[in-house]
Amino acid sequence: MSERVDAAERMLDLVIALSHTRHRMTKSEIRAKVHGYGTNSSTEAFERMFERDKEHLRDLGIPIVTLTDAVHEDEIGYRIDTAAYSLPPIDLTPAQMGVLSLAAEVWQDSAFAGSARRGLTKLKAVAGSSTTAAPGVALRVRGPDPAMSDLIEAIAERVPVRFTYRAAYSGETTVREVEPWRVHARDRGWYLVGYDRDRQAQRSFRTSRIVGKVQRVGEPGSVTIPEHRPPTPERVFHTPVRLAIRPESAAALRARGSVVDSIEGPTGARDVVALDVSDVEHVADEVAGYGHSVLVLDPPELREAVLARLRAVAALGGARS
Amino acid sequence: MIESAPDRLTRMLSMVAYLRDNPAVPVAEVAEHFRISPEQVIADVNTLWVSGTPGYMHGDLIDFSGDDLEHGVITLLDSRDMDRPLRLSPGEAVALLVALQSLSLAFDHGEDASLVDETIAVLRAAAGDAAKAADAVEVAAPRRDVDARAERIRAALSTGRRLHLRYVSASDQTTERDVDPLQLLTDATRWFLVAWCHRAQGVRQFRVDRILDVQVLDVAADPHPDVQLTGRPEPDTAQAAQVRLELSSRARWFAEQLPGATITELDDGWLELTIGVVDLAWLDNVVMALGAEVRAIEPPEVARRVSSRAQAGLDAYAELGLI
Repeated sequence: MSERVDAAERMLDLVIALSHTRHRMTKSEIRAKVHGYGTNSSTEAFERMFERDKEHLRDLGIPIVTLTDAVHEDEIGYRIDTAAYSLPPIDLTPAQMGVLSLAAEVWQDSAFAGSARRGLTKLKAVAGSSTTAAPGVALRVRGPDPAMSDLIEAIAERVPVRFTYRAAYSGETTVREVEPWRVHARDRGWYLVGYDRDRQAQRSFRTSRIVGKVQRVGEPGSVTIPEHRPPTPERVFHTPVRLAIRPESAAALRARGSVVDSIEGPTGARDVVALDVSDVEHVADEVAGYGHSVLVLDPPELREAVLARLRAVAALGGARS
Repeated sequence: MIESAPDRLTRMLSMVAYLRDNPAVPVAEVAEHFRISPEQVIADVNTLWVSGTPGYMHGDLIDFSGDDLEHGVITLLDSRDMDRPLRLSPGEAVALLVALQSLSLAFDHGEDASLVDETIAVLRAAAGDAAKAADAVEVAAPRRDVDARAERIRAALSTGRRLHLRYVSASDQTTERDVDPLQLLTDATRWFLVAWCHRAQGVRQFRVDRILDVQVLDVAADPHPDVQLTGRPEPDTAQAAQVRLELSSRARWFAEQLPGATITELDDGWLELTIGVVDLAWLDNVVMALGAEVRAIEPPEVARRVSSRAQAGLDAYAELGLI
């Protein structure tokens, strides 16, 4: 079998040994007595293995406690307190287990996927059967970026953070110091919202643009998160737009407006669809994407914005515009 | 796929707690409960059987009934005090709670949504402090412009009925087709229907916001036991064409939302994006939306294709006297 499977067996013996030790076990005792650790040829290899296993167990919610002994001050000892790692009583119905199974499959390709899977496994220890929730329906979300776990931990402990951030427009990197408040998912991306100490203002950071590790730069409890969460502003629809849309196309645009007229052109009829929009540039992106199927009748600034896009792209293939 | 050590360790410890409460369980039932193969159950039991406190003599080890196992039944005899169910780590609690919040929003106040909210409450109580970290995370609801269509598809899925679709593709072709629905999928932004298409005689994925009309037919859907659902909102990129784009830094948001894309910073502040494209019509649309934010496309035939579509757009404006 592979080395990974051996690691699970070794950690299992470590958990059992450290939760049964009367007082504590030192590293040398662990290396000599616990199954799977004595095979290392060098002390360095043992240390690396032990540190990695300790890290894994911490992530699993089974922390190894470090103890020093009055008699042997220089040698650190380790133990696991089983009482601290047990799940409180929980009563899950089969339907709720079905929902949790659905939830455990939401995250794709990220640390969240593994965490959700292991969380579900732990709940299965105390749960009975499960029924299928919402048959045939599935939610699949790209999980957050690697920086996210550190950020969520820092928010929970109210610790300021420092990280290297790549600016969206210039592509340049700067080091930012931020009091983290919350994270949110929007349009397939994850964002950190907080107080930027250098800019002295609230800022939003796309977490995929954080380069490298997130460092903590202060004491736990030193961040005050504003009580009031500003509600997401309601969209204000104000610019009236008229589009000439070919029959059957641009269903998403049609759904936001209504057909008010139709016009005849040399290549067939088009529906005139009227709708109100809030952001002309945003709508220009959408309309330009439809190419010849959707044309802008009004307003002129939207038409120019779309034409500018089409002209730029027409020039890419050497075609004459 | 090789299972990670933390995954297997978590399961073995959870299994001990489960077996304490469930004496004499058939192997198949344990396999079903933990969603693993019966062989894996036996492998886990065999590992647990030789695990214990240092010394590793009889009496130090976790013990099972050998007689029962010969009859395909697992009975835990001595857990060596390892039968406590494990609490959720903060990371596990957050990953599950945020997923549940996303599900609740995706179900949009329906019957399923209240079941999800109930589950959130139970999980929060059990997770304790670990759940608080989840408060810092906000998730957005998928778009709401598809409700009636999504509802009909869900109804067909739960009653096992066939659907009739009128669908407009990325290349703006409208087609009518009968499909057997397999899965209704959302990536928290859009909804997708995965279905067996009788017209294409294969599995196809439909964006729900491009379904012009959907009717539940009075016909039972055929079973499709051989279909493996990938569970991915993105199309299979194995048959994709590799396309290279040069984008201005302003278009970084676009590059970042693409799964499986490679982004390289160019010396002059532009980006190089390499991506597998299954549907070139999709690429046409996004490039036209980006306009001047794109300065180069390779291979040349792809550049010519999108350029001629943009030119067709300009020609249509000229025909109507709009330029």
